[in-house]
Amino acid sequence: MFMKSKKLLKIKILIILILTCSSFKNTAISSSFSEEQTVNITKNLRCLICQGQTIHESNSDFAESMKKYIKSELENGKTNDEVFSSLIEKYGQWIVYDPGISRNTLLLWALPLLLFLIGGVIIVRKILEKYE
Amino acid sequence: MIISQLGYYSLIFGLLTSIFIFFNSSIQLKKNNPIISDKITGLIGFQFFFVFISFISLVYSFVISDFSNETVYNNSHTTKPLFYKVTGTWGNHEGSLLLWLLVLSGVLLGFIFKSKNEPSNYRLLTTLLHQIIVIGFFVFVLKTSNPFNEIFPVQTEGLGLNPILQDPALGIHPPILYLGYVGTSIIFSAALASMISNYLNKSWAKNIKFWILFSWIFLTGGILLGSIWAYYELGWGGFWFWDPVENVSLMPWLSLTALLHCIVTLEKRELFKKWTIVLCIITFALSMVGTFLVRSGILNSVHTFANDPSRGIYILTFLLVLVLLSFVIFIIYENKNFTQESEIFTLSKETAVLINNWFILYFLSVVLIGTIYPIFLDVILDEQISVGPPFYNMLILPFLIPFVLFMSIGPSMKWIKTNFEIGAKSFLVIIFTLILSFFTVYFIGEKNIFILLLFIGFFYLLLKSLDQLREKTKNFAQIFSHTGFSLLLISILLNSFSSKEIIKNIQVGESFTLKNEKIIFKKIAIEKEKNYESIVGLFEILDDKNRIIYLQPEIRIYNEPEIATSEASIKTTLFKDRFITINIIKDQNFFNVRYQHKPFMIWIWISTLIIMLGGMFAIFRKNKEVNI
Repeated sequence: MFMKSKKLLKIKILIILILTCSSFKNTAISSSFSEEQTVNITKNLRCLICQGQTIHESNSDFAESMKKYIKSELENGKTNDEVFSSLIEKYGQWIVYDPGISRNTLLLWALPLLLFLIGGVIIVRKILEKYE
Repeated sequence: MIISQLGYYSLIFGLLTSIFIFFNSSIQLKKNNPIISDKITGLIGFQFFFVFISFISLVYSFVISDFSNETVYNNSHTTKPLFYKVTGTWGNHEGSLLLWLLVLSGVLLGFIFKSKNEPSNYRLLTTLLHQIIVIGFFVFVLKTSNPFNEIFPVQTEGLGLNPILQDPALGIHPPILYLGYVGTSIIFSAALASMISNYLNKSWAKNIKFWILFSWIFLTGGILLGSIWAYYELGWGGFWFWDPVENVSLMPWLSLTALLHCIVTLEKRELFKKWTIVLCIITFALSMVGTFLVRSGILNSVHTFANDPSRGIYILTFLLVLVLLSFVIFIIYENKNFTQESEIFTLSKETAVLINNWFILYFLSVVLIGTIYPIFLDVILDEQISVGPPFYNMLILPFLIPFVLFMSIGPSMKWIKTNFEIGAKSFLVIIFTLILSFFTVYFIGEKNIFILLLFIGFFYLLLKSLDQLREKTKNFAQIFSHTGFSLLLISILLNSFSSKEIIKNIQVGESFTLKNEKIIFKKIAIEKEKNYESIVGLFEILDDKNRIIYLQPEIRIYNEPEIATSEASIKTTLFKDRFITINIIKDQNFFNVRYQHKPFMIWIWISTLIIMLGGMFAIFRKNKEVNI
């Protein structure tokens, strides 16, 4: 199962690479206006061809073209959220380090908090035992 | 070649010894001898000796570059410096598991020596239970990960060691980490043995506390080395990324920390017996989960070195067997051990320890769920998500504030019952905390009220911990580790909020500025070393007081295997690190230069060392008590 999904991922990455490399070649416009905003976004994106690095940190071709793409999108007047959602649409939730709250991640957020509450109840009961 | 064979047969003998010890100790248990026979002690010594011989053979095969050995062939090269030939021994799957086994048999030997005054049936039972783990790992190594496989025809040159592993900190990181990681195995065996032999009391707590501290100190050191390595080797100036492999080392650390506080309560007040045993089991299970996650290769991470499902399945099955075994033992012996416990008063050290455990276990659950949830989601729904820093920050940071507040007042509480007096001095501490926090927040120019609250909490912990130095009976272990922890939190927070960074594509001769500093790209040189060639850039930095600092970042092109790495150049001062890396841009004369200010970086390392020092004080103090 793992192997299968990994292989699938690899194929996906390959397609993405080819796509990105061919389509974003001529988007190198420099402007300091959207620099900081770009960094904020790229710090939260996974570099798909690296292992465990953000796009901001990586120097790979993929990361570089993504940086240019995001910058140009911002300069075209898109908001952060719009950039994120268009990226998620393209590459899947995997690319964003923030898992966000959705049907798939509800348990991810809720489980630790639930455990915290249960722990609290146990402790309060333990202390209250004295008064019984 | 012969040495490699020696290593293999030594492993087989080791396995046979383990089986022999297993049966021998069960026979001895039935006889109910008041003293443990020298035969068992000797056998445990032999077992360690055989693994040691096997391990040394592998090290030797690496040193002489014996390429008839598959592990050596896959992970070494004749041009490697001697140090990296040696550290290459555990820089791969097979070798690192042999190191696992070495520590596993070593801690049992250590335990037998350290527990001479304990009841013999408890020691025998610990030996017996530990052998189950030892045998499991022997079989694992021999069946799925034999480090002594031969290859024909014998190769003349090896494939080389991954260059990012060719680093001094990462060279010694695995042995230190493993001492902590695998050290938890003896805690597991001893905890189960104490239940069966009805020895779950104050003297047991005293005995096992040493091993908890031992594992805790080494695990802290191992994590520290790993972070230092990530900081300067991975090239982006971060030291912790909530990466799955980092998380699996943090999880046993968290549960060990909780256990450490529990075991003191058990030692002093004979409380929380059931919970302590559960924590002992959880801690070791987490170490096993970590091994499973890393070794099965199902994690997507910077540090993954292996990719073999059969290994993962073996560890997972073995882990389930051990957990099931401990569960059964727990149920059977529950009534015998956990009779009535004395009551707890609301305001007491006992309550403080409970709250400590409550929060630490919550942090643990965040890290655990954050690490394994994506795997389950992938398997069940075939959907991939990433759980990164935003998740952990969101769920951990807000909880840190109440946690450090309890941590500040907990130590000044007394066992059984505390009568709180709020004197003038308590107010003084609060006022100092507020002044320090406001000043810091103003200084870094942060307007967020939440950040201010974090600083107030962290500084309060710092001042309260230091304030304890005035008390008559000082608990240096606690003062040091709590002070270290508060310093760690403060430096991490300062570091993350006032780091500055600039990325430029420039040619030799050009310059740029960051804040009041001018960075000039002076020249580029090519140097040749034994195992790599490097492009060294020379940068001159003029700081705001016109002092000159030189930095020399490198791009290394390793020959075997041919991989380029970027080596950061770092200038450390007490207040900030200056951090620079360069990268080649294809087909151009330009270099991609990344220059960073990383404030209080050195304090992150120093404070972790202070935390470890606290642990060492605790070990020292315990020995002193034994002497008296």
